[in-house]
Amino acid sequence: MDNLGELLHGFTIAVTVPHLALMVIGVLLGILVGVLPGLGAPNGVSLLLPLTFGMQPVSAIILLSSMYWGALFGGSVTSILFNIPGEPSSVATTFDGYPMARDGRPTTALATAFGSAAFGALIGVILITFLASWVAQVALAFGPAEYFAVYFLAFASFVGMGGAAPIKTVVALAIGFAIAAIGIDTVSGSVRLTMGVDELVKGVNFVVAVMGLFGIGELLVAVEEEFHARAVSSKIDWREVFRAVGRLPRHGVALLRSAAIGCWMGITPGGPTAASFMSYGIARRFSRRGRYFGTGEVEGIISPETADHAAGTSALLPMLALGIPGSATAAVMMGGLMIWGLNPGPMLFVDQKDFVWGLIASMYVGNIVAVVLVLLTVPVFAALMRIPFVVIAPLIVIICVVGAYSVSNSYLDVVMMLGFGVVGYLFKKLFYPLAPLVLAIVIGDKAEDAFRQSMLMSKGSLAIFFANKLVTCLIVAGIVLLLLPLVLQLAHLFRKPAPPTNETTAQEKVII
Amino acid sequence: MISRRALELATAVLTGSFGVAVVVQSLDNGIGWSSAGVDSGTFPFLTGIIIVLGSLYNLVRGVLPVASLANVPIAITPIELRRIAGLFVPAAIFVAAIPLAGIYLASAGYIFAVLAIPRHQSVPRALAMALATAIGLYVVFERMFQVSLPHGALAAALGL
Repeated sequence: MDNLGELLHGFTIAVTVPHLALMVIGVLLGILVGVLPGLGAPNGVSLLLPLTFGMQPVSAIILLSSMYWGALFGGSVTSILFNIPGEPSSVATTFDGYPMARDGRPTTALATAFGSAAFGALIGVILITFLASWVAQVALAFGPAEYFAVYFLAFASFVGMGGAAPIKTVVALAIGFAIAAIGIDTVSGSVRLTMGVDELVKGVNFVVAVMGLFGIGELLVAVEEEFHARAVSSKIDWREVFRAVGRLPRHGVALLRSAAIGCWMGITPGGPTAASFMSYGIARRFSRRGRYFGTGEVEGIISPETADHAAGTSALLPMLALGIPGSATAAVMMGGLMIWGLNPGPMLFVDQKDFVWGLIASMYVGNIVAVVLVLLTVPVFAALMRIPFVVIAPLIVIICVVGAYSVSNSYLDVVMMLGFGVVGYLFKKLFYPLAPLVLAIVIGDKAEDAFRQSMLMSKGSLAIFFANKLVTCLIVAGIVLLLLPLVLQLAHLFRKPAPPTNETTAQEKVII
Repeated sequence: MISRRALELATAVLTGSFGVAVVVQSLDNGIGWSSAGVDSGTFPFLTGIIIVLGSLYNLVRGVLPVASLANVPIAITPIELRRIAGLFVPAAIFVAAIPLAGIYLASAGYIFAVLAIPRHQSVPRALAMALATAIGLYVVFERMFQVSLPHGALAAALGL
């Protein structure tokens, strides 16, 4: 019960007028960067970082983490209303959130998303409160082999459970890995896959890829159809908000399962993006209404949102306890910690109790502030939906161009973004899944590093991936998922020889 | 009119050639095992091979008259193609104009052109929207987030 006492002390630090004001500012700025597709939580937090140098560490971290919550929520707003993920981690929210909003239920979609997001965040914070020290010790035992096994499992789950044609998924994944490898190799320092273009030494940022694949690519698919203004009511129906939140407990299993996936992926550095995709894929496999996923299913919104926020929140746990950031944003915040003169790691819990518990308490309060503010500001963003498509389309192009440029002030990025747009269009048209491609770009490097480090440790023997129970379980589960489509196909062949497979097209329609 | 088969083929060839490029490039970095551990080319080499093999599989699937592909023989109709071109061509011209005109001028011109020329909006409204876009970009990025956007060769020549 030590933790509870510390937490109460934390609340006395977090719930003061200046800190509440900082939360409101942070959340509003966060929603802004979350809504703008070019600027994400990592960008926003880094841009805000210089402002915090003069602050008390605890005030600074409250401002930055509130911005993070705001960005997580803001990303979902554009995902649902515009089918443009403001953050990579809210990509999976578009799959069912956007169809539901398009069908005339934007309030339900938003309220469901925010409700489940708040639940995910709450579980994440509770986890941090009670398990911080214990989980830190477990993760302390993680070596590169375990890290690789976790990544491997995440990738294999796409092939086995993604629902798209398995070989197309594999190709998309491998292309993502190759793109991630472009630039300087972090292990050896040598330059790779620049195709003779010197500027590619810096690599391909995932923001550039995401904006092309999803922003421009989606636009090209959308413009094919006669596009009438999708006049969706810009008013939030407050009664529907409470009704939608009230219906959430009916999906208790999905909520708990997604929160568990999110917490796991947040603590192990799978990150919110992988967590939301994995949760969505698993929900589609196990839900009774799985085949309706992609058409505006409630659980299709609950699953990625809960996991996204659970992972986003619990990603701060290894950062605080071990100094290993669980996500890109956590990495930026960790940079801030060191600038403020704090040393992330287990000693933080001993030396800087006020800081740690002030932050944890602020997570509870900050998420409530975020839910309220995001609901209040939704009409502002929803009003944008009544603008005709011919006006919106060039604006989206400009946002994508500016976003791609601002990643590293490079014109080449803008051109690449446009190229990714064409690829995104082709992939979407032919039912190649985009999600594994993006995930591989984001964490491909880390997976490779983990693999090579474990190879160094074992002197080139693959036996390191079967060295203990934990890593063996993860690897075996990954291999099973990888072979699942093959086994299913073989079983199918044996039962009735050479069936005309319309099934693929039915599945194809569901995925992305 | 572009058939589904042609599109499948083109995409498989595209991904396949990317795979070949990756394989060729990664050989420069060395593949296999050396004293420093796994060589830096190994991982890209393997992904390249997977891309090539997967693309070949997709290529064959695309050529063979499989039931699922025969269901949708036409991927893009002429009307759709014209609409896509109507969006993509101006966007490409906009991107091409950035190095010279800078992002503010280029985006204002882009907005004005796509709204006024096909007469989606009246000229004064299109002009107002174009200006609002440029000013909005300036305020949000240059002022609020202090991200410097490209001003273009033209502005540099004028000494701005």
